[in-house]
Amino acid sequence: MIEQFGRAGFLLIFAIAFPLIPIAASVALGVFRIRPRKPDPIKSSVYECGMVPVGDALVRYNVRYYLFALLFVVFDVEAVFLYPWAVAYRALGVYAFVEALIFIAILFVGYVYAWRKRAMEWI
Amino acid sequence: MLASLDRFGPELAVMATAGLVLLADLVVPRRHKAWLAGLSVAGLLAAALWLVILVLRGRQASFFDDSMALDNFSIFFIFLFIAVCGTVIIASLDYAPRFGSHQGEFFALMLLATSGMMLLAGARDLVTIFVSLELTSISQFILAGLLRDDKGSEAALKYLLLGAIASAVILYGMAFLFGIAGTTRLVTTNGAPSIASTIAAGDAGIRSALILSMVFLAAGFGFKMAVVPFQMWTPDVYQGAPTPVAAFLSVGSKAAAFAVVLRIFYEGFGPNTFVGNDWKEMFAILAAVSMCVGNVMALRQTNIRRMLGYSSVAQAGNFLVGLAAISALTNGRTSLGASGVVFFLATYAFTNLGAFIAVMAISNRTDSDEIADYAGMGRRAPIPAAVLLFCLLSLTGLPPTAGFIAKVYIFNAAVQADLVWLVIVAVLNTAVSAFYYLGVARQMYLETAEGLPTLVRAPWATQGILVVAAMGVLTFGVYPIPLIEAAQRAVNVFG
Repeated sequence: MIEQFGRAGFLLIFAIAFPLIPIAASVALGVFRIRPRKPDPIKSSVYECGMVPVGDALVRYNVRYYLFALLFVVFDVEAVFLYPWAVAYRALGVYAFVEALIFIAILFVGYVYAWRKRAMEWI
Repeated sequence: MLASLDRFGPELAVMATAGLVLLADLVVPRRHKAWLAGLSVAGLLAAALWLVILVLRGRQASFFDDSMALDNFSIFFIFLFIAVCGTVIIASLDYAPRFGSHQGEFFALMLLATSGMMLLAGARDLVTIFVSLELTSISQFILAGLLRDDKGSEAALKYLLLGAIASAVILYGMAFLFGIAGTTRLVTTNGAPSIASTIAAGDAGIRSALILSMVFLAAGFGFKMAVVPFQMWTPDVYQGAPTPVAAFLSVGSKAAAFAVVLRIFYEGFGPNTFVGNDWKEMFAILAAVSMCVGNVMALRQTNIRRMLGYSSVAQAGNFLVGLAAISALTNGRTSLGASGVVFFLATYAFTNLGAFIAVMAISNRTDSDEIADYAGMGRRAPIPAAVLLFCLLSLTGLPPTAGFIAKVYIFNAAVQADLVWLVIVAVLNTAVSAFYYLGVARQMYLETAEGLPTLVRAPWATQGILVVAAMGVLTFGVYPIPLIEAAQRAVNVFG
C-alpha cells in the first residue's frame, strides 16, 4: 500500500520538477548574463498557433451560447452512447435495440421541447 | 431483468407522465393549462393503481439484482409520495397561473421529483440511492426558482449550492462504505457480500472508517432532512420558493430523506452491530440540537413561511428522536422508534400540507406572508383559517390531532430506549413551540381586523383539499390504529 503511494509520490515530484527546472534555468541564465536579452514586439507577443493574436483572451461570451452548448452536449452524449451500441449491434440483439430506441425517444422528447420553446432561435 | 420490470411500474408511470406533460404543454393553449394538472393527477392515480395491483398479487421482492426493493416499507412511502404530490398539484391549481409560460414545467418537475422520491424509498444500492437523490434534488432546485423573482432566484441558488455540497458529502461517505465493503449493495438476498453483512461481521479495525462514513452520510442527508446544523437553507427556501413548492419540499423531500436514512442506517449499519450505539447517539444529539435551535429561531419570525421553515427544522428533530430510539421493541420484533418515525412522517405530511396549503390559499389573496396580516383571518377566510388552526394544533402536538398521537408514540419509544433526557428536552421544546404556533392562532381569532374585507373564496379544489387534510389529521388523531399498524408492517422488513 505504502509502496504504491511512494510511486505516486515519485510521479508527483517529477511532475512538479518538470516545469520548474526550465523556468529556474531560464532565470538563472538571465542572472548570470549567459542568456542574451533582446525583446521585440513579435517575440514577446502571445503564441497563438502562428496566428497574429487579436484582442484579449478574457472577452465576454454572449450568455445565449449556453443554450447551444446545452443542446450540443445532449446530442454529443447521445452520439457517444450510440456508437458502442452500433458497433456491438449484432451481439446485443433485440433487447439492446429496444433500449436504444427508448433512449432516442427520451432525447427526441427533449428535442421537440427545446424546439417548441424556441431554444434554437437567435433572439 | 425484464421479469421484474412490472415492480418498477409505478415509477415508470410517473416518469412517463412527466414526459407526456412536457409534450402536452407544447400544444395546450395558455388558458387550458389546468388540463396538465389533470393529466399529472391521472398519471399519479395510474401509478397508485399499479402499486395496488402489485400488492394484491403479492409481488413484494428484492429485484434488479438487489439494487431495488418492493417491500412494505417502499410501498408505504410510495403511496405517501403519490398522495403528497397529487395533493400539492390539485391545491396549486389556483397558484399555477403565476408561473406564466412555465406551468407545464412546474407539473413535469413535480412529477420527476416525485418519481425520484419513489425510487429513493425502494433503493437498496448506494449508486441507485445517489442517482435517485439527484433526480429529486435537481428537480427541486429548478422548482424553487421557477417564479424567477429576486427572492425565488436567491432561494434557488442557495439551495443549489448547499445541495451540491451535501451531495458531495454523501458521495464521500458512500465511498468509505464502498471501500470497506467492496460492494455498493446495502443488503443482498443471494448470500453475496453486502454492506450489512460486512458490518455485521465487522472487526474493530474498520470502526473508525465506518464512523467517518456515518458522519458524512448524516451530514449530507441532514441537509435534506433539514436538521441543525445543516438547516441554513430551510427558512430562505421556504420563504423564497413558490408556496406549493415549499409545501412539497417540507413534506416530500423530508420524508424521502428519512426513508433513505432508515434504509442506510437501520438496514445497512444495523442497530445491534458494533457501531449501532454510535449512530444512535449521534442522532440523539442531532435531535436535541435541532429541536432547540429550530424552536428558538421560530419564536422570532414574523413571516409565516419562515416560521414554518424553522418549525420544520424542529419537527425534524422530533423524527430523529425515533431514530435514536430505534432499539426499543414492541411485540419482541417491531422497532418502536423506526415505526414512530414512519407514522410521524405520515401524520406530518397531512398536517404540514394542510398548513402550507392554507397559507397559500390566504396569501394568494392578501399577497402577504406576514403573521401580522393574519389578523381576523378567522372571519375573513373561515375555512383556510380553521384548517390552519387545526394543523398548527397538530404541529404543536395537542389532542385530538394526529400530531399528538405521533408525539406520544415516539416519546414512548424514547423512554423505552432509556433516552429520558431526550424526552425531557423534547417535551420542553413542545411547550416552546406552542408559543409561536398558537401565536398565529391568536392573531387569526382574537385580533380583530377593522375595515378589512372578507377575502375572495379559494377555489373548490383548494377548499376540498384543505378539508381532506384536516379530516386526515382528525381521523388519525382519533383512530390511529390502521396507520400505526401500516407503519409497523413497513419497518418490520428491516427487523
